[in-house]
Amino acid sequence: MSEPAQPPIPVTVIGGYLGAGKTTLVNHLLRNANGLRIAVLVNDFGALQIDADLIEAADGDTISLANGCICCSLAGGLVEAMLGILDRPQPPEWVVIETSGVSDPVAAAQYAHLPGFRLDGVIVVADAETVRRRSIDRHVGRHVLQQLRGADLLLLNKTDLITTDQRNDLRQWLADIAPDSRVVETVGARLPVAALLGGSHVAFDRQSHDEHFDAHRTWSFSDAHAIDGGRFRATVAALPASIVRGKGVLHLVEQPEVAHVFQLVGARWSIVRGSPWVPADRVTRLVLIGLPDHSDHSDHSDVEAVDRMLQELHVDRERSDPLDEELV
Amino acid sequence: MTHPITVFVARKIVTMNPSNPEGTHVAVRDGKVLGVGTLQEVAGWGEYTLDATFADKVLVPGMIEVHAHAMEGLTGLFSYQGYFDRMAPDGRRLPGLRSIDAVLADLRRIDATMADPTEPLLTVGFDPIYFPGERLHKGHLDSVSSTRPIFLLHASSHLGTVNSAMLARHDITRDCLTIGVAKGDDGEPTGELQEMSAMALAQSALVPFMKAATGEECLWGFGRMARQVGVTCVTDLASQVLLNPAALGRWQRIVNDPEFPSRVALYSLPAMPGASADFGSVAAAIKRMQAEEATEKLRFPGVKFVLDGSIQGWTAAMNWPGYYTGSDHGQLLTIPEQLVDWLRPFHDAGINVHMHCNGEATIDVAIDAVEAVLKDVAWLDHRHTVQHSQLTNQAHFRRMKALGMCANLFANHIWYWGDQHYELTVGPERANRMEPCATAKRVGVPFSLHSDANVTPLGPLHLMWCAVNRTTPSGRVLGEQEKITAYDALWAVTQDAAYQMHLDGELGSIECGKYADFAVLDASPLDVAPMAIKDIAVWGTVVGGVAYEAAVTR
Repeated sequence: MSEPAQPPIPVTVIGGYLGAGKTTLVNHLLRNANGLRIAVLVNDFGALQIDADLIEAADGDTISLANGCICCSLAGGLVEAMLGILDRPQPPEWVVIETSGVSDPVAAAQYAHLPGFRLDGVIVVADAETVRRRSIDRHVGRHVLQQLRGADLLLLNKTDLITTDQRNDLRQWLADIAPDSRVVETVGARLPVAALLGGSHVAFDRQSHDEHFDAHRTWSFSDAHAIDGGRFRATVAALPASIVRGKGVLHLVEQPEVAHVFQLVGARWSIVRGSPWVPADRVTRLVLIGLPDHSDHSDHSDVEAVDRMLQELHVDRERSDPLDEELV
Repeated sequence: MTHPITVFVARKIVTMNPSNPEGTHVAVRDGKVLGVGTLQEVAGWGEYTLDATFADKVLVPGMIEVHAHAMEGLTGLFSYQGYFDRMAPDGRRLPGLRSIDAVLADLRRIDATMADPTEPLLTVGFDPIYFPGERLHKGHLDSVSSTRPIFLLHASSHLGTVNSAMLARHDITRDCLTIGVAKGDDGEPTGELQEMSAMALAQSALVPFMKAATGEECLWGFGRMARQVGVTCVTDLASQVLLNPAALGRWQRIVNDPEFPSRVALYSLPAMPGASADFGSVAAAIKRMQAEEATEKLRFPGVKFVLDGSIQGWTAAMNWPGYYTGSDHGQLLTIPEQLVDWLRPFHDAGINVHMHCNGEATIDVAIDAVEAVLKDVAWLDHRHTVQHSQLTNQAHFRRMKALGMCANLFANHIWYWGDQHYELTVGPERANRMEPCATAKRVGVPFSLHSDANVTPLGPLHLMWCAVNRTTPSGRVLGEQEKITAYDALWAVTQDAAYQMHLDGELGSIECGKYADFAVLDASPLDVAPMAIKDIAVWGTVVGGVAYEAAVTR
């Protein structure tokens, strides 16, 4: 089969236990989409509490909003909903799937590999006040742990309801039970849209209306000279935990004739071989999004570290040689 | 105007009416029973026509299946590759395939009958649990054809196996990121696609099957299958009539057709277009259907929730110590406190709720939820039912009894997976008390028996045989202490089956005032040797006084 004509639509899966803040997060997304056409797939429209004046049209399984976003029902199943999205006259630019309270979001994420889509990341929202108690519940504890472990980005929500000591304990516990998940602390599930949908240049470039909601830092990097793939991967692996999103097109020494696409969501990242370069565009372009980190490191030291790491990608080019290593 | 009376004479009529257990004649008017007894006892209703069609047959109440799925009607429409023999709605015998070589030989035979060499070949029913040690993979199927895409949809509907031509057609390669695309040591797909997210990648095979599952031929097949096995009322226990209004029209047109040989009870999934989780409006929609759309043949008794997976799939939610082999405890599909909120609008509106619960943990959750809603609204006669209820223990049953709940036990499991449960899934002790009919009877919980067709074949005589004999294919008796009598088993598939749908005032026995629904058998299951119950020949059924003769088995 040949490459699809359209680039695949990124899919973000949002999971977490009942009451953790999933729907709040989806609401924030819809209100701060800033022109990005997002399709959210949910079990329950009612819980979204969309303002009536925002609704442009409603036809049973789909609600169209004035800002270009749509909400689709999952009642008929994920396959049907995903295929229905591709059939729309104007397909969305992003898909967000909100899973139900005991679902394994990683299982839902597998639908993001259907033709026409790509998995962007799995975001799990956890209620800082209750998550540890839920995790030992005799009926749902296993499911809660499974969700936490499956997160690329773990939103530790409602941290205003716990003490500093409790927060530190919780962070240590999460590091033990979900070592592969990157933790971000939030209040009211207010994660900057850029951190969620940061892969889109559209979302990067537009200003949010909600300053508080959008407290994040952006790094941009570009270089017309090829960069060293091995060094780049080492750099990414060493990024501080406060970097939650990344996206880029890479011009690599190893395969200079082909563009490579870089994606990072939480602790998970990938470099995938893309199409041959149009010669004039042969430039590495990279964007990283960082959030204030409430854990051990100060925001200040992270900023300097990332600045330095990116700088080193430039200077490294003089001495880099093509590597034999196969790319991820 | 006088309405004609027909008196059917039979060798014996087993009524399941405890106060009038047997007779030889049954008088029928307007599709309902006037009386059962001797000719003399029923002749007084007035001028009648004597129908001797069943003079050498035995009539029992039309049997009732409270857990089936309309997809059973597809049996025989797609090539069947299950382990056990099966019957199609037209009476065709579909032979079971007892080895992977037999499966491959069957595929070669089908391949040779298909003209277009690129048309996908899809079969159903294959179950790898019967072939331990040898996992079916693309290499097996490649030996059938390197050009025709092949898809074996397994019996569980959770797995499929495809060949290299199918992988190539849909660009399923080593680079595919879907977790359910199984990969071998060489990193290449093995051909096994796990769960719908992976199976949906091979759309060319699956889409025609999914379409057929909601088609008219499927619904007609569902009714004809009921006729073949003596069922006069069959449920579609995960109906999408609420979600899809066109489906409602289709059911009405077909079931209300006088040619359609069964009553149908539709238990909707609680899903509606759009506001799917607004269960208050779902409850209102069910009440509306009950009031405005129900007919003598088509009913909407309640709502169905699915709360966990299956035991043989290791996805039923288990309490300590979990499964016998394998470390997992399965998967709850609903949060316990959320289930209470979900049940409440239905319970409060007086709508009967049936909950799919296989594992012990799930049964706990279901009972807890019913207890919670009952504390607020004292509808004592709800008859909310634990469906499958396979690992229900005595403590569960005592709570269910106290709360007015029913159980529908998956008795066919004893035959189809009993050995696997003993050896693999739950181990000897718990396998011996699966489908605990005797415990349910002792505690006093009304229980029925079900096939979950198309998961296992529709057939209440087979269910009765399982509950009475508890025999597995290896010859093991699984739980001697949980055996019940043939009478109790027949009661379960007639009276108590009707009871758990609130239909026992109309169905479930042959007695004055109830519908004239009979299963027409060659012998009484109460008279034959217990091991012969499943082999009793079924002539067909009578539904509302109308005879529907089964297609001859061939």
